[in-house]
Amino acid sequence: MMRAPDVLQDEALRRISRAERLLMVASGKGGVGKSLISMALASTLSEMGRKVGLLDLDVHGPSIPQVFRSERLIKATKHGLEPLKIDGLELMSLGYIVRDSPVPLGGEDKMSLLKMMVALTDWSPLDYLVVDLPPGTGDEMILAIRALRRHPKSGTVLVTLPSRLSLSVVKRALDLLRDEGVRVLGIIENMAYIRCGGDIVRPFGSLDYSSLGADLLGSLPLDPAVEEALASGKPPHKASKEVMEAISAIASRIEVMM
Amino acid sequence: MHEWSLADAVVRSLLGFMASEGLSSIKEVEVTWGEILELDTGIFEQAFYELSKGTPLEGAKLVLKEEKAYFKCNSCGAEWDFKTADEILSREFEILEEPAGVKESPLHFLPDLARTLLRCPKCGSRDFDLISGKDLRVSKVVA
Repeated sequence: MMRAPDVLQDEALRRISRAERLLMVASGKGGVGKSLISMALASTLSEMGRKVGLLDLDVHGPSIPQVFRSERLIKATKHGLEPLKIDGLELMSLGYIVRDSPVPLGGEDKMSLLKMMVALTDWSPLDYLVVDLPPGTGDEMILAIRALRRHPKSGTVLVTLPSRLSLSVVKRALDLLRDEGVRVLGIIENMAYIRCGGDIVRPFGSLDYSSLGADLLGSLPLDPAVEEALASGKPPHKASKEVMEAISAIASRIEVMM
Repeated sequence: MHEWSLADAVVRSLLGFMASEGLSSIKEVEVTWGEILELDTGIFEQAFYELSKGTPLEGAKLVLKEEKAYFKCNSCGAEWDFKTADEILSREFEILEEPAGVKESPLHFLPDLARTLLRCPKCGSRDFDLISGKDLRVSKVVA
């Protein structure tokens, strides 16, 4: 017996896959700064001359509208929902539609919402679509995996704190992605160190990721300037020279790898 | 206005389906659409037939089947339909339809936002289920 096609999933995967390169930013745990890194990478790639879209797949806690702020309404045209254009980026997030209202959803309903949102989003031709995934290995990751598997130029970066407690979570996410045939570009450590005068303090110590078979793409400091940048509406990658250089180096590595 | 993008999604999905199933033509396609989507069936049909032209789907008859929306509260047991939902729908959030410049509720584009945009009309809870009437799916293909 023939199985009817899943119209919305097919269209969601097709629309995501129209971007020349697909970069997923994931993490095993919440609170590690994944969304900030997604935004910083997207902005940096854009400043490198790439046409970049940033898709926020976090249904419950979308962060992108808190940094790339806009009071404009999302527009619907014959071709679907138009992403907002801010600071040279194309942006789509549920946060632009329902602002800070709760979205109490789980399981199939959440998957259905994500499929519909992605199926309707009408991106311009993009060099990169950066996808900010919520933490963990839930529905959003599954949808992402389906898109990544079929995209010839795709990859995932995993963001983590260099804490021993995070290592097993990173391993689980890595195992899932690899089992599903998804290319993992490497790991980005966030809040890895504090610059204190002339000294560097590593509150979590240092981790060796070689046992996981993953490259460390770069480390970012725990820098109060990032929070100050957020408060003043400044893009996070421009928080300080050190953050900017670290993100630029990571973006350049990703460019070479993809 | 989302009729065109949804019809495009249906056509592309069916073309992929035909290729994977080795079908050179289809006689009839039944598409079930949820009442919440508020599809203009005339526009959807026009878009479907227009987008099918010159593809292996050309000539297929489109049958549109509406699925009524039905909500049930898990807190107090109240049940309500789309008419009631539309009356109590939060107007706090909108999507701007272009080029008409009309503001619409996001619910018609993203029905799963029901718990964000609605509350039970009897007890005010967000803990309700949208039992039916939100999907867009191919429900039957006659080869």
